[in-house]
Amino acid sequence: MAAADTPSATTLRRRDLCSRGIRLARKMRSDVADLLDIYVERQGLDASVSVAAVEGVPAAAAEHWSEQTGTQRLLDNLAAYRAFRTLLAQMLEEQREQLGDADAALGRALAAVLLQVSAFAYHLEELLELESRGPPGDEGDGPPAPPRLSLFEQKLRGLGVLRELAQWAVRSVRDLRQLARPGPGAGSAPGLAEGQ
Amino acid sequence: MEKKKSLSITGILSSMFSGWNWVARCLYLFWNICSLEVSGGLVQSCGHIIPESPVLALGSNFTALCILNESCLDFGNIYANQIIWKIKNRVVPKEQYREINRTVSSVTFNDTSSLATPLTCNVLADGQIEQNIYGITVTLGLPPEKPKNLSCIVHQLSKLTYPMTCTWNPGRHTFLDTHFKLKYRWPRENFPDCIPKDANNSCTISDVQFFVNLEVWVEVANALGKNESDRLVFDPIEIVKPLSPHNLSVNSGILPTVLKLSWENRISTAVMKLKFNIRYRIINETNWMQVPSEDTASPRTSFSVQGLRPYTEYVFSIRCMKEDGVGYWSDWSEEKTGVTTEDKPSKGPSVWRIIDASSPASWTVHLMWKALEPFEANGVILRYEVTVRAKPPPFHPPLKYNVNTTSLTLKLPNRTYEVTVIAHNRVGASPPSVLLIPTSNSKAPVKNIRTLPKDGKLWVGWTAPNGNVLKYVIEWCLLSNSSDCIMEWQNEPGNIQGTYLKGDIKPFKCYLITVYPLYADGQGSGQSVKAYLQQDRPSKGPTVQTKKVGKAEAVLTWNHLTVDEQNGFIRSYTIFYKTIDGNETAVSVDPSKTEYTLSSLTSDTLYTVRMMAYTDEGGRSGPDFTFTTQKFGRGEIEAIVVPVCLAFLLIVLLGVLFCFNKRDLIKKHIWPNVPDPSKSNIAQWSPQVPAKHNFNSKDQMYPEGSFTDVSVVEIEADDKKSFSEQDLKPFDLLKKEKSTSEGHSSGIGGSSCMSSPRQSVSDSDEGETTQNTSSTVQYSTVVLNGYRDQTPVQVFSRSESTQPLLDSEERSEDHGGGSDSTTQRQQYFKQNCGQDENTDRPCFEIAKQIIPANEEDLAGFAQLQISGQSSEPLGLGLEKSTQEAALSDVLQTSTEGQTVRYETVEGNPPSVDEMPKSYLPQTVRQGGYMPQ
Repeated sequence: MAAADTPSATTLRRRDLCSRGIRLARKMRSDVADLLDIYVERQGLDASVSVAAVEGVPAAAAEHWSEQTGTQRLLDNLAAYRAFRTLLAQMLEEQREQLGDADAALGRALAAVLLQVSAFAYHLEELLELESRGPPGDEGDGPPAPPRLSLFEQKLRGLGVLRELAQWAVRSVRDLRQLARPGPGAGSAPGLAEGQ
Repeated sequence: MEKKKSLSITGILSSMFSGWNWVARCLYLFWNICSLEVSGGLVQSCGHIIPESPVLALGSNFTALCILNESCLDFGNIYANQIIWKIKNRVVPKEQYREINRTVSSVTFNDTSSLATPLTCNVLADGQIEQNIYGITVTLGLPPEKPKNLSCIVHQLSKLTYPMTCTWNPGRHTFLDTHFKLKYRWPRENFPDCIPKDANNSCTISDVQFFVNLEVWVEVANALGKNESDRLVFDPIEIVKPLSPHNLSVNSGILPTVLKLSWENRISTAVMKLKFNIRYRIINETNWMQVPSEDTASPRTSFSVQGLRPYTEYVFSIRCMKEDGVGYWSDWSEEKTGVTTEDKPSKGPSVWRIIDASSPASWTVHLMWKALEPFEANGVILRYEVTVRAKPPPFHPPLKYNVNTTSLTLKLPNRTYEVTVIAHNRVGASPPSVLLIPTSNSKAPVKNIRTLPKDGKLWVGWTAPNGNVLKYVIEWCLLSNSSDCIMEWQNEPGNIQGTYLKGDIKPFKCYLITVYPLYADGQGSGQSVKAYLQQDRPSKGPTVQTKKVGKAEAVLTWNHLTVDEQNGFIRSYTIFYKTIDGNETAVSVDPSKTEYTLSSLTSDTLYTVRMMAYTDEGGRSGPDFTFTTQKFGRGEIEAIVVPVCLAFLLIVLLGVLFCFNKRDLIKKHIWPNVPDPSKSNIAQWSPQVPAKHNFNSKDQMYPEGSFTDVSVVEIEADDKKSFSEQDLKPFDLLKKEKSTSEGHSSGIGGSSCMSSPRQSVSDSDEGETTQNTSSTVQYSTVVLNGYRDQTPVQVFSRSESTQPLLDSEERSEDHGGGSDSTTQRQQYFKQNCGQDENTDRPCFEIAKQIIPANEEDLAGFAQLQISGQSSEPLGLGLEKSTQEAALSDVLQTSTEGQTVRYETVEGNPPSVDEMPKSYLPQTVRQGGYMPQ
């Protein structure tokens, strides 16, 4: 774990982080998809309901995505997942308030996704450290405190968070692939191949 | 925490109640108690121990201090030098004490292993009474060791549930309450500790997240310290044991050697990619085969297994693990079966034959073939096609048979045949199997056939004959007394010289094994050998018995054990024989023999013999048999008897010769000449003129009309024999009534050695004794008729009389007319044994009883005749002498009114010439004597 001084060690570390980050993002995508099904079912929502952009939830879509540098990609991802971490923790709290321990499966699934979000954020921070950039401070990067919402609005917001998180999981895979790929967009880590 | 504060001031005072001042001290005690109550407590300790209830490491050193209260010093005169340390009830040696000051005493233990609970501080009150001041509980234990061998595994329980279980070696037992904690964290995030439940060496984290390195370690702590294991850092995805694939299905492919497997994976490809292992086996076999792992090293949900046997049921199972091989294999999935499709038989059945050549012109050929093994049949055999071709081919086409069984019996002319058998299933036909049946097994046989039990099977080997052997046929059958030899057989290729018998070969059973070499153009004769898979002792021993027993030898015989009883090859017999008190002698006998002669035996001795039969595995004894040797040997008795007999004969011969030489002398002394009465003058006397007085006399005695029967006794004058004594005695009595003497029958010159000591009547004439006894009556016949209603009895009696019937001429001359009436040539007696035929007593017996020896007897006789009312066989002689008249009167008187008549038949006297002269016994008939 200690950062190696040698480039080869850094390269290996970067490859490992990207590889596992991609797999984590894929699993997170898979788990969020499962969680969405559970969430829609347990919250009594319609899976086809359209949810407007939720305030505080970072959008996965990005203009000029292909033109972003590796560091920028990492920073965007880190900001998004820090926000998701806050939002998911809030959702978990709200879910416990609403359902108590009656729906343990939903709670466990939310907690698992929250952990994965945290883990992915850790990957991003590690990669940023390898970029000699260092992760930005956590304070102020998170979404602002959400206004007090009604129960239905909480459900819709939760649905929006999960859907956006699924989008971000897909984007993160692409970002990490881009980082792992040698080339201008690969940041300072050329020669990385996609791990898996 | 346990405290012992038993020694209070009151306790100390109580120990001081001695001497003169005890009353004062009691008062002081009372005051003191009152003061204590006032001060808020009933008792007050005189001291305490430091440290209070320590937890000590085993093997460490330990020092405790006992500190006395100042108050006790003043009152009880107790000081530190009086302190005694005790462990339980054992006093700690003084060497371990140290008086720090007048109120503090310490004790030191270099090894706490010797400590025990409680450790007490005591004093000797008044120098002799031991009182406890304070006590502590000592807890001994060990600090926790560093947990070792920490390892973790993630078990997949469901698609989303991945609990992680870590185990470790907790180290030695600490004897203390020790707590373990499994700690784990991400580099920037801590997680709650995992506390083991009901264990100290494992803990399970309910869910873990993959793709992030997790740092895991174990912390352990107790009262003596804490410790922690080495830290593991790993991505939990690397230690996953996934769930095995499920919903496995097996489908038959187009080819008969292929089955297609399909399954579902229970772990997302987003989590890990999988590789697989596929194993399979034939359903009734135990050994698994495995699909090469490189063929299943990529993620998939189906696979086609190839190279299978047609029409065979297989069992499949599958497992998976992370594709890169990091982690653990899953368990094997549930087993599923599938059957490959049929194919045509891969080979023809093995064919053999049994030929019954009892008929000279034709054979009875029993063809038989083995059903194909499943892996050869490749399906269900529907029929067998059998073709029999005569060689050289005759005019008519070959014979063809379609059969469903595995045998076929044919009656064929005696010649060479080629038999072909083809098996058919639904898909097709097998290659043909060909068997050549020659007219004779003229080819070279195998040599040196031998067997060897090996690995529980029976191996048979042989030396191949010179020639190109196509294959060998090995026949074998179990030899048994209880069943026929049921032949089994097997084919072996021609390039081998030994094989195992393929069948249920039983131990302890004898098998007859025959090997035939088959050539392209003929067949060799079979060579046989007997073999056992495993031998044992015989189940019984031979029953031995003797065939012949002599004086010093005995011939023993026995029967061979039956093949069922042998249990192995009989290698030898041993005969054990002994006397009752002697040592047992053993004799080894060749197993081919059934007879043996024991020699050098002791004569007239009881021997016990038994017999043991031995195989390679041991022997068993038969029943005991006993016999006794003879006292004399063969010919010994003859050697004794023959000489004795010869000697006896020689002696007899010599005696005869001696007697012959001395016959004159012997005759003179033993049997002197006796005059023959027949040659006497009386014989020439005229018998035709009976004396008148006799007639008269008879008439008087036997009046006419009283005759019931007539018995005639012929007395032939010239016969050397005479009437019986009984017949004549009464007559003699009448004649010589006054000369009757009593004596034994031998009398003078009596010749009968068999004479009984009865009275006999002899002639009393002196000087004539010798001559009178020279004529003896050898036999007499008493012919009796039943008297009245008595049953007549015919009695033959040997005459014991030595009395001459008649006097010699010289005597007759001497007696003159006194013997006129008794010398008649013929006399006739009519004897009536009585009118009463029912008389029980036979006449003869009565006659014997009435033989008087003297006159008194005679009188008694007459009296008996009257009173007895029985028929008396009174033989009456023709006594003519006048002096007998009186007796006749007596008789007349005695027979008055009686039925006994004595009568001389006069009217019809049989002539002498007409009457056969014989002394043979007369036949008794009812009603009279039969004339002889």
